[in-house]
Amino acid sequence: MSAVVAAIGFGLVTAAVLALAAVGFTLQFGVTNILNLAYGDVMTASVFAAYGVTLLGGGLLLALSAGAVGGAVLSLLLNRCLYMPFLRRGTELFGMIIVTISAALIIQYAFLAALGPIFFRLPVGEGNVVRLGAMTFTTNELLIMGMAVVAMAGIHVVLRYTRIGKAMRATAGDPALARSCGIPTGRVIDIAWLASGALCGLAGVSLAITLATFTAGTGSAFLVPIIAAAVLGGVGQPYGAMLGALTVGIVSEVSAVYISPQYKSVAAFTILILVLVIRPHGIFAEVSASRGLAA
Amino acid sequence: MLTFQVAIAFTGTDAPFGPETMAGCIPAAKLINDGGGVLGHKVQCQSTNTQGDPADAVPAIEKMLATTPGYLVGVLGPSSDEASAVMPLLEEAKIPTFPVTGQPEFDKNASPYFWRTLPADDTLGYAMAVWAKQKGYTSAAAVFGNSVGGQAQVPTLKQGFSELGATLNPVIPIAEGLGSYRTEVQQVVAANPQAIFTELDPQSGATFYSELQQQSTSGLPPIVGDQVILEPAWLSAVGGAVGASTLLNTCVAIQPYAPTQGAAYDAYNTALLGSAGQVQKPDQYSTDPYAMDPYDSVITMALAMLEARSTNPATYNAHILTVLQPASGAVEVNTFAEGKAALTAGKHIRYVGAIGPVDFNQYHNSTGSFDAVRCGPNQNTPVGTISAADVAALNK
Repeated sequence: MSAVVAAIGFGLVTAAVLALAAVGFTLQFGVTNILNLAYGDVMTASVFAAYGVTLLGGGLLLALSAGAVGGAVLSLLLNRCLYMPFLRRGTELFGMIIVTISAALIIQYAFLAALGPIFFRLPVGEGNVVRLGAMTFTTNELLIMGMAVVAMAGIHVVLRYTRIGKAMRATAGDPALARSCGIPTGRVIDIAWLASGALCGLAGVSLAITLATFTAGTGSAFLVPIIAAAVLGGVGQPYGAMLGALTVGIVSEVSAVYISPQYKSVAAFTILILVLVIRPHGIFAEVSASRGLAA
Repeated sequence: MLTFQVAIAFTGTDAPFGPETMAGCIPAAKLINDGGGVLGHKVQCQSTNTQGDPADAVPAIEKMLATTPGYLVGVLGPSSDEASAVMPLLEEAKIPTFPVTGQPEFDKNASPYFWRTLPADDTLGYAMAVWAKQKGYTSAAAVFGNSVGGQAQVPTLKQGFSELGATLNPVIPIAEGLGSYRTEVQQVVAANPQAIFTELDPQSGATFYSELQQQSTSGLPPIVGDQVILEPAWLSAVGGAVGASTLLNTCVAIQPYAPTQGAAYDAYNTALLGSAGQVQKPDQYSTDPYAMDPYDSVITMALAMLEARSTNPATYNAHILTVLQPASGAVEVNTFAEGKAALTAGKHIRYVGAIGPVDFNQYHNSTGSFDAVRCGPNQNTPVGTISAADVAALNK
């Protein structure tokens, strides 16, 4: 039993990283309707921004901040300089997916070409080990979980109680109607990219800390579980992404106690398929399908 | 221009394989060209990226066979990632191939163009078991990636360790490339093994051993790995995660015996260090058997062409055996220049290169003894040896 409790604790750490990433991914998709497969590589770029700050003497909090800022700026630039021109020319969903894949490859291989196939480590220390009953965490992992909780609460408050949150929900629900109601949808979309990018950056730095090392390909390697968490909750639904991240994180770790650990990802994806059989649009999508971003 | 293709992963999880293999090919080509080339031809090394995946490797090899610039005379690679898928293509093309795969499925290879000069993974499993027993370990955990290459030595490791009276528990196959292995780490910690046998890719290894270091109250147990964990990328990733000095003190790698002295080694290392313009940080490969082996393979093929007086792969292929095998009256040569001079003088030769003597069996496989070296860059001095006889005693 203690092994299961410990595995749940480990799953919470995985879920925290996934939640940061999946909520950012799904928030951006919900508002802009672009399936941004360069998301993982923006995570990587954010980690390198954080790495640069640590080389200048910055600590963990500065590294996280640099990752968030780096992710936000790069996401905004990607949208303004690459995605929007294609959208203006009428590129549709499938075409945009190819554009985002191209962006992903360009970012990844730019880092690979510049830095080589080298492993890097964020020099932020490992943190002390904290034992909470059968669960074991490092202080860094506790910080990541705390940050995820705060970020999720922040997203909730913004979407539920602020004008920009309501504007995002309106834009996600019907952009044309939102624009005709006087909502500056262009600015709302920019803010969605910035917020999504900031979460992406925080997730990237958190991932690099939990992995111990990172490379030019680290972010893209984790895109699939991020998308899985988002899909499980219902694409475009931030609360669904939170629940999806928890499910993927905890199921994968707990399943490793009972079955061969090599199948723990399979276990998580089996749950994903079972959920989608019952609720084809994800856990939250049907609840709030008529309301754009759930709130 | 005669072309040797390095057909292996240059991107993906096993991306370090490419530069490592190329680090053997380039110095060999340099020495051959400096020595006047082969039958009036210069030689070159080209890369073909298999991406470490059969689905990508097959079209890459087909393209390589169709479009190689110059005249394709030999292939270095593939690795276990893609060998099963691409070896039939290379055999059909009648191209001599020196693979970097330890897969047991090639233990009874029937292709005349397949030449494996490094030990099979199943043999390595026995060697790891013998080493652990020599150190007095009676219980150990096994943590291996669930790839074809990662799992290849596990059955013989289990069998060998058991036959030596020791217990292997737990045996954990790892799904590589995940974000966390904390649950697997906890299983290892709970078993309290005296040592851990391992082969994981660099990223997964860094994550696993970093988490093990955090969860274990007594620090990292001794780690016994294979040659994969001596690759610069692995040492960099895992050393960065747990501390390079910690890794050096807790970890040994069992690798094919590769002497780091003598005329053959000196020629290899001098040419390697002189290839800094083409090989990034060449000194990292100075004692790397997986760079020394492709170096020897290129020299071997060049000498075989000279002996056959032909650059036609289908013709010179048979001479690979005769320039490597011991034979009465054969002159031992350690460099391309020595071999070329001896062949020009009409002598029979036996090439003994940087990796040491090669002695093929009927299946074109060669097995020798093993070294145990500490897990750090350029660990020249073995901390122990596993004899071919000890391995053979388990490999009945």
